[in-house]
Amino acid sequence: MKKERSWAEPYKIKMVEPLFMTTREEREQFLKDAGYNTFLLRSKQVYIDLLTDSGTSAMSDRQWAALMMGDESYAGSENFYHMEAAIQKYYGYKHVIPTHQGRGAEHILSQILIKKGDVVPGNMYFTTTRLHQELAGGTFADIIIDEAHDPDSELPFKGNCDLNKLERLITKHGAENIPYVSIATTVNMAGGQPLSLANLREVRALCDKHGIMIVHDMTRVAENAYMIQRLEEGYGHKSTAEIVREICDLTDAATMSSKKDALVNIGGFLAVNDEKVFEKARNMVVVYEGLHTYGGLAGRDMEALAVGIAESVDDDHIRARVGQVQYLGKKLLEAGIPIVKTIGTHGVFLDAKKFLPHISQDQFPAQSLAAAIYADSGVRTMERGIVSAGRKKDTGEENRPDLELVRLTVSRRVYTQAHMDVVAESVEYVYSERHLIKGLKMVYEPEYLRFFQARFEPIT
Amino acid sequence: MHGETLAPKKMVQKTIIEPFRIKSVEPFRLSSESERSAFLKAADYNPFLLSSDQVMIDLLTDSGTSAMSANQWAGIINGDEAYAGSRSWLKMQAVVKDLTGFEFILPTHQGRAAERIIYGLVGGKGKTFISNTHFDTTRANIEFSGAEAIDIPIENATDPSWIHPFKGNLNTEKLEKIILEKGAGNVGAVILTVTNNSGGGQPVSMANTREVSRICRKHGVLFMLDCCRVAENAYFIHLREEGYSGKTYKEIAQEMFSLTDGAVMSAKKDALVNMGGFLALKDKDIANECKSLLIITEGFTTYGGLSGRDMEAIAIGLEEVFDADYLTYRMKSTAYLGDHLNKMGVPLMLPIGGHAVYIDAKQFYPHIPVDQYPGQALACELYVKGGIRSVEIGSVMFGKYDSMGKLIPASMELVRLAIPRRVYTQSHMEYVIETFEILLEDRKNVRGMKITEEPKFLRHFTAKFEKLDQV
Repeated sequence: MKKERSWAEPYKIKMVEPLFMTTREEREQFLKDAGYNTFLLRSKQVYIDLLTDSGTSAMSDRQWAALMMGDESYAGSENFYHMEAAIQKYYGYKHVIPTHQGRGAEHILSQILIKKGDVVPGNMYFTTTRLHQELAGGTFADIIIDEAHDPDSELPFKGNCDLNKLERLITKHGAENIPYVSIATTVNMAGGQPLSLANLREVRALCDKHGIMIVHDMTRVAENAYMIQRLEEGYGHKSTAEIVREICDLTDAATMSSKKDALVNIGGFLAVNDEKVFEKARNMVVVYEGLHTYGGLAGRDMEALAVGIAESVDDDHIRARVGQVQYLGKKLLEAGIPIVKTIGTHGVFLDAKKFLPHISQDQFPAQSLAAAIYADSGVRTMERGIVSAGRKKDTGEENRPDLELVRLTVSRRVYTQAHMDVVAESVEYVYSERHLIKGLKMVYEPEYLRFFQARFEPIT
Repeated sequence: MHGETLAPKKMVQKTIIEPFRIKSVEPFRLSSESERSAFLKAADYNPFLLSSDQVMIDLLTDSGTSAMSANQWAGIINGDEAYAGSRSWLKMQAVVKDLTGFEFILPTHQGRAAERIIYGLVGGKGKTFISNTHFDTTRANIEFSGAEAIDIPIENATDPSWIHPFKGNLNTEKLEKIILEKGAGNVGAVILTVTNNSGGGQPVSMANTREVSRICRKHGVLFMLDCCRVAENAYFIHLREEGYSGKTYKEIAQEMFSLTDGAVMSAKKDALVNMGGFLALKDKDIANECKSLLIITEGFTTYGGLSGRDMEAIAIGLEEVFDADYLTYRMKSTAYLGDHLNKMGVPLMLPIGGHAVYIDAKQFYPHIPVDQYPGQALACELYVKGGIRSVEIGSVMFGKYDSMGKLIPASMELVRLAIPRRVYTQSHMEYVIETFEILLEDRKNVRGMKITEEPKFLRHFTAKFEKLDQV
C-alpha cells in the first residue's frame, strides 16, 4: 500500500483560547464533586476536552465574519435564505426547516412520521434519536451488520446495514408499520464508522420495493464521504462534495446537528423532499423551536452555518480532520492499547472491557476508565457503554451493549498534534497502571438519558 | 456599576439622548411604494412572510432584535463552547440567580422552550392556566398540552382609551373565584406577564403581584412570572407606585421575583440579546423533572441549546438593562413615538407602554368589521406606504372559530409597533410618524382582508390573506 502523506492542517491559527492547568490532587477532588461523571465537570477543570466534537469546533475567520453579518429580523432574515441555499446546493434536499440543534429536528420529525406501535430500523441507535422515536410511540430496531458490535473487526465499512435484518423486520411487522429507515452517516455508537454507498444503494432498492422512506441522520456526512473516497472502489477520483451529494440523493429527508461536520457552535435543521411533511413540520417548528425562518437560531448562527457547510466538504479540510483522528488512533494501536480497531472519523474509542478486564460491566468499566484518565492528566473523555445504553422502555431492564467504550472525541480545528501526543501519553500511562483502577457504583440515576447526569462512587 | 444607580442623571435639556454612541451599523435598502406593493402581494399580505431586505424599518418585534453593546460582542468572542460545564454558563447562572433569587436555573434556546417544559409538566388535559393575558406562544404551548388558558386582566383593561397606571394588573377577585371553581389542584399555574405584552405592554404593580402571590400561596397554586420585560416593568413601578422611588430598578425586580415560585424568560427582550432564555425555579423536585425534559428537547443542563457565546452575552445584557440611564432612554424613546401619534389623533392603547406603541385598528378603520381584520389591513398599509413592518395583535393572532365556523373575535384589534432596543434613532421615529400622517389622510379608502389559508396553531405566523374588493 502507498505510504500516506502527512495530514498537516490547511489553515493557521488566528485566535486562541487559553487552557487551565490543574494538579492531580485538585482533579481528584473535582472528580469527586462531579460524581465521577465527566459530564458534570466544569470546563475550567479540564485541560484537553475530548468529551464531544459537538458544538466545539473552532470557526474560521470567514465564519466569524459571517457572525458579524447576522440579520436578526424575526421574520425573513437574509441569513436563513443563505443557509437554505447552502443546504440545497451541498446536500440537495428541497425544503429546509431550521432548528436550534439536531435534537430539535429529531423531535419534530419523530412526532410527524411515527405512530404508536411503529418500528424504526436504523444502523445502530443513538441516544437522543432513539429516545425521540420512543417518545413518539415507536420502537427502535438495530439493523447494523454484526461486525459493528465487535471492536476487533477491521472491516472498512462497519456502519453498513444488514439487508437480511431489514428484510426480516419488514416481513415481521409489515411495511405499513415501518414509517422510515434511519440511516446515520457516520455511526457514532459503533465508533464513528462509515457506511458504503454500495450498501446505501441496496437499502434504497429494498425500501423502494416496499415504499418505505429513508431518513438520513447526517451529522457527520462529510467524514463518511471522505472514507468512501478513500476506501470504496470507484470513488477515489470523486470529490468529498460530490460523494456527499450522492449520499443525500439516495435519501428522502434528513435531520442534522450542524454542530459536528458543519463547524458551528450551535444549529441544526430538518430537510425534506416531501411537500406534505414539510407543511406539517413548518407548522410544528413554530410551537417548539421558533418561526420557520429562524427556528430558534440567531441570524448570525445561520450565516456561520451557511459558510461552515461549504468549508466542511472541502477535501483539504476533511483530509486533515480525519488525519488527526487517525494519528491519535494509530499512536494508541502502536502502544498496544485496546481500541476499536477500525479507527473512526471523529474519535478514537477505547475498548474498556479489554482495558479493564477485572471490572465487570455492572461496575461500569468505561465510566471508571474515563474517570481514571481525567484524574491522570485532565483529559476529559466520554463513556459510551452500559451507562449511555440506559434501560429498556417496557421492562426497565438495563440494556447491556457488547461495546463498552470510552470515546476520545476530537474537536474540529481546535487541538494540535502536541495535544494529541499528550493524550496518547496519558492513555498509555493509565494502561500501565490499569490494575489499580476500581469499578464504580451508581448512586443517582435520572429517568431519561441517564449518562448526562448520573452520579457515581468508587467501590472500595 | 450597572443596576446600582438610583436615578438617571438630571439634565436641563429636554431631548432624550442615547447613553451610547454607535459602534457598528447595518445598512438597509430604501424601496419604492410600487416595489413594496409587489413584495406584499408575493407575501400573501402577511408581513411575517416578507424577507427582511424588503423592510426598511422593522417594528415587527422587540424580540431578539436588540443591538448588543461592545461588551456583549466581546462576550461573544469570549464564549466557552464546552459541551458540559462551560464557563459562560456558570457566569449566566450566577447573574440569573442573583437577579431572581431562585436556586435552580435551566438555560433554554429561547423563552417558548422554557414555557413548554414547565407548562407541559404541570399542564395537560383538565388543567387550567390563569394569566393577566397569555401571549401567543404561551397560549399555544398550553393548549397544545390539552390544558385551558384563561385571561383575567383587570376590568376595562381592554378599553384602549382608559387610563390606569398599572393597566397590566391581574383581576385578583376573579382569580380567587376561578381557583375555587376549578379546584386548586386543577390549576396548572398562575402566570403573571410583566409587562403585559398582549394587553398593550402595560405594567403590573407590586401591590397586585403581592396580592396574586397571597392568593396562590393560600391555595397552594404555582405562581410563575413571565419576566421577559421585568426591567421595563420595574421602571414603571419606580415611576408610578408609592414607596418605590427610592429603590433601584434591580431591587424592584428582585422583590417581584421573591413573590413568585419561578420564572420563565425570553432573554431576547430585556436581556438585550439575539437568542436565549431560561427557566428559574424554587422547587427542587419540579426543577429535576424539568431538567430531564430539558435534556431531551433542548440540550444538556449546562447549555440548554445555546452556544456558549450567547450565554456570555445574556450574563452581560441582564446587568446592562438595569442601568438607570439606559432604561430612561428606552422608555422615553417609546413615549416619544407614542406621544406624537397621540397628538396627531391616531387612536392608541393608552397609556403608552414600555416596549411598543399599540394602535387601535378598530377605531383607525371604523368601516372595516372585525371579521375583515382591520389590524391586518393597517399593518399592510403601513408597509406599503412606509416600508415599516408591524404586527397585528387582534383577531388574526387570537381569534377562534365557533362550532359553526364563525369567527369569535379577540377583545381588541391592535397593531403593535414594537421598538427594538438601541437600534433605531429619533429620525427613524420621525419617519414613522410622517408615514402615519399619510395613512390618516387615506384611511377611508382602505379595504379589509380575508384569510385564504391557515394552520391550526399560531396561524398569524404563516396564514395567507387576500384583499377584499369592496370598502
